[in-house]
Amino acid sequence: MPKITLDGKILEVDKGTTVLEAAQAAGVYIPRYCYHPKLSVSGNCRMCLVEVEKSPKLLTACSTECADGMVVNTASDKVKAARRDVLEFLLINHPLDCPICDQAGECGLQDYYMEYSRARSRFPAEDKVLRQKRRALGPHLMLDNERCILCTRCVRFCSEVTKTAELEVMERADHSFIDLKAGKTLDNDYSLNIADLCPVGAWTSRDFRFKQRVWFLKKAPTVCLGCATGCLTEAHHNEGEVYRLMPRPNAETNTWLCDRGRMAYKSLRAGDRLVKGFIKNGLIDLEPALREAATRIDEAKGAAAVLGSPWLSVEDNAALALLAAAMKTENVCFDFKFETGIKDGILINKDPSPNAAGAALLKAARGGLGLDEFRARLNSGAIKLVIAEARAAALLKDELKASGARLIAFATNRGDIPAGAYATLPYASYFEVPGTFINYQGRRRAVEPVVAAPAGVKPLWEVLNKLAAYSGASLRLDSAADAMKGME
Amino acid sequence: MENILLRDKVAELEGYFAAGGYRALKKALAMTPAAVIDEVKKSGLRGRGGAGFPAGLKWSFIPGDAPGPRYLVCNADEGEPGTFKDRELILKNPHALLEGMAIAGHAIGAASGYIYIRGEFAAEAVKLEKAIAAARAKGFLGRNILGTGTDFELHVHRGAGAYICGEETALLESLEGFKGQPRLKPPFPAVKGLFASPTVINNVETLAAVPAIIERGGDWYAAIGNGKSTGTKLFCVSGPVNKPGVYELPLGVTFKELLEKSCGGLQEGKRLKAVIPGGSSTPVLTAEEAWLVKLDYESLAAAGSMLGSGAVIVIDHGQCMVKLLQVLARFYHHESCGQCTPCREGCGWLEKLLNRLESGRGTKKDIDTIVSVAEAMMGRTICPLADAMAMPAISFVKKFRSEFEAHAAGRCCPPDAPVKH
Repeated sequence: MPKITLDGKILEVDKGTTVLEAAQAAGVYIPRYCYHPKLSVSGNCRMCLVEVEKSPKLLTACSTECADGMVVNTASDKVKAARRDVLEFLLINHPLDCPICDQAGECGLQDYYMEYSRARSRFPAEDKVLRQKRRALGPHLMLDNERCILCTRCVRFCSEVTKTAELEVMERADHSFIDLKAGKTLDNDYSLNIADLCPVGAWTSRDFRFKQRVWFLKKAPTVCLGCATGCLTEAHHNEGEVYRLMPRPNAETNTWLCDRGRMAYKSLRAGDRLVKGFIKNGLIDLEPALREAATRIDEAKGAAAVLGSPWLSVEDNAALALLAAAMKTENVCFDFKFETGIKDGILINKDPSPNAAGAALLKAARGGLGLDEFRARLNSGAIKLVIAEARAAALLKDELKASGARLIAFATNRGDIPAGAYATLPYASYFEVPGTFINYQGRRRAVEPVVAAPAGVKPLWEVLNKLAAYSGASLRLDSAADAMKGME
Repeated sequence: MENILLRDKVAELEGYFAAGGYRALKKALAMTPAAVIDEVKKSGLRGRGGAGFPAGLKWSFIPGDAPGPRYLVCNADEGEPGTFKDRELILKNPHALLEGMAIAGHAIGAASGYIYIRGEFAAEAVKLEKAIAAARAKGFLGRNILGTGTDFELHVHRGAGAYICGEETALLESLEGFKGQPRLKPPFPAVKGLFASPTVINNVETLAAVPAIIERGGDWYAAIGNGKSTGTKLFCVSGPVNKPGVYELPLGVTFKELLEKSCGGLQEGKRLKAVIPGGSSTPVLTAEEAWLVKLDYESLAAAGSMLGSGAVIVIDHGQCMVKLLQVLARFYHHESCGQCTPCREGCGWLEKLLNRLESGRGTKKDIDTIVSVAEAMMGRTICPLADAMAMPAISFVKKFRSEFEAHAAGRCCPPDAPVKH
C-alpha cells in the first residue's frame, strides 16, 4: 500500500487511489468541477491542480495516482494561484447572470469564487463570447450554453451511465458548446440527474426553474416510493410545499434518481388530489362518506373483503389487517407477487410497487388468501364488497367490474381510483405522514413526513379507525405505530 | 556533408532502390528487435516533431510481454506554423519513411502501421499511397516481407484539418474516429495507445532517418551533429531571406551559417530583428541572441528557446511584433481544442488583448495582462498547446516590450515599421 505525505500528513492508501480520493478520505477538500466519483476522469477543468514534489508542473489530483513516497501540497502558493487563475478563466466568458439563474446559491462558480478567488474582473464585458441561452432540451431540461464551463459531466453521464450518448461538445476553443448529437433527443429516464451533475447553471430543471430560490429550501430525507427499488431521496421544501426531489446518494441503493421518481411530489398539489370523499361521483365530506361506507360494509357482512396493498406502508397494511379482524371476514389478502429486480440496469425496478415485501410481512403474520384465490372469490360472487387502496384495487379492476362488487377505495389522488368505485376515502401521502417500507433488497426504511397534509386529510390508519368505529367496531389506534398490533 | 534525407532521384522506388534503398530493411529483419533498438539508441536519434525525445528509448518502452497487437504510427500532421519539412521529405524521399517504418515495426513488434497525414496534404497522401503500393508489389511491405515471415501493413489516413491532431494522443483519437482531443497521460501511448494497444508515434523525419542508421550504424550517425544532438536536421527557413526553403544540415549549425551559407542571407535592405528558431510555438530570440546560436536541442534550450520542429522564422525590422503575435494568437485561439480551461479561455483572451493593442485601442495595462494570462496558461493543461501560445506571448512582450508600449500609446511600432492607418 503506497504511503504519501499530503499537506504534512502521512496517509496510507490502497493502490490505485488518486490524490483527490486520498485527500477526500483524509478530510482535505480539493476543489473540482469535471471530477465526479461515478463518472470517468476527464481531467479538463484544471481546478484540482496540486503540487507534487519532483514534478515540475502542477498535477491534476483527480487523475494522479498515489505513488509511494509522493509528497503532495494542496495549499501552496502555486496551487492557490492556479485555482485563482482557473476561476478567472472560467468566469471571463460567463454571463454572470446570477440574479436570474436558478443555480445561484448552489453554484460551483459562486462557491469557489468566494472560497478561492475574490479577484476583480479584468475582462471587458463587451469581449464576452455569447452563446445560446434558454434552449429546452427534452421534456425536463433547459440548457444555457453561455453559463457552461464545459466540464463534460453531462456528456459523460449520458455516455457512461444511461449509455444513450445524446450529448457532445461541438466546435473548439472558447466557441465550444454542448449540443445534442444528430438525430437524438434528450429524453432518457434519468435526464434530470444532469441538472444535479452540472456544477453551474448551464443545465437546469424545467420543472424547478424560477419556482424557488434555493436558499429558502429546507431539506428533508425521504424515500422514493415509485417502485420497489426504494431510492433514498431528499425532499426540498419551503412553507409546506415540496419543490423538488433529489437523490441522497448511498452505497446500498442509489447514486442517481430517475425522472419519474423526481416528479412523485407533484401528486401532492395535483389538481386531482383528494381532500374530500366521493360516493360514486358525488363529492362529500369525509365523515358522511365514512358513514355511508360503513353502512355498506355492514350490509355486506361476511361477503365483505379487505385487500392489502404493496403501495401502503407496513403500518397501514397492519391497520387493514386489524380492520379485517374487526369485521370478522376471512376474505383478506396481502399476497402480491411481482417480479423484482432492476430492469434497465440502472435503477428502475420490474416491481412497480414500493412495498410488496412489507405486505408480505402481514401475510406471514396473519395468513389470508392468495391473490389468485381472492380473485376467484371475487369472480364467483362470494365477495360482494372490497375495501382496498386504489392502486391495489386497480390490479383487480376487471374482476371488480365483472362481478359488480362494491369497491370502498382509499386514495390520495383521484386518478388512481378504478372506474366504478362506490366510495372513495382520502388519506394522507407518505410525504405527509410516517410509514415503513421494505425495498426489493429487503432494506427496511422508515419514511418521515416532510410537509403537513391538507386540512382534513388523515393518515390511512386513522381513516380505518374511524371507518371501524362507524360500523360499531373499535381498532383502538392512536398512532401509526399502534397499527403494528396488526402484525401480532 | 552529404544529405541523408533530402536526396535527389529517390522519389520513386526504382531510384531509391538503385541508390541502395531497402537494404537496411533486409539487414534489420535479420537482426533481433532488441538489436535494432540498441542501434537506434546508439545513434542518439531524437524526435524531430518538436519534443526531441530519444527515439530508441521510446521504442524500448513498448512492453515486451504485452499480449495483442502493437501499432506504429507516423505523425505526418505537419501543422506547426513555419514548418514544411515533412511535406518536402514525403515528396522527395517517401521510401525512406516507408523503410524506416518497416524497420521500426520490426523493432517494436508491430504488424501494422498508420501514416496520419495532414488533411491539406492531398498530393502528398497520393504520393505515399503510390509509394506504398510500389513497395508492397516488391515485397518490402505487406505480408511476409522479403520472405522473412514478418508482416507489416501500412495505411495512410488523412486528417481533417486540426492543428491539435499533431499532438500524439489527439492524433490517436482522430485516427480512431473521434474528435481530436489530447488524452490524459498516463497511460502513455507505449502502454495504451491506438485502439488501447501499445503504440509508438514518431515524426516523419525521425522515421526517415532510421534506414541510414541501420545501414551505416548508430556510431556513424552519432558522429554527426553536436553532442547529444546527433545527426542531421531539416530546417525550414521562412521570412525575408534570399532563398527560403528546407535545408538539411548537421545539428549544431549556427543560425548565421544557415542564413548566410544556405539561404543566401537576408533580402537586400532588410535588417534582422528576431528569429523564431523552432516553429511558432517556440520562444522568440532577438537578432543578437540568434546570430551565433547553434541550432541544436541543448544550445537553443540554453538560449531560452527550443529547436522544436526546426522551423526557422526570420523576422526583419519591417515586421511589427505586435501584429505577429496577434497572428499567432488568432491561430492558437482557433486551434485550441477547448478541453482544458486555461487554454480554451486563455487563447481567446490573448487574441482579444492583442486585437485591442494592435488596433491602437489598448493600454499599458493590457501588456501586463498579456503576460499574466500567458503565465496562467503555462504548464497547466493536458497538452502543450497552451504552452505553445504562452511561450511566444511571454517572449515577444519580454523582448520587444517597446513595440507593445508604442501601440499602447497609440503610435506605430519603431523604427521602420509599416505606417498604421
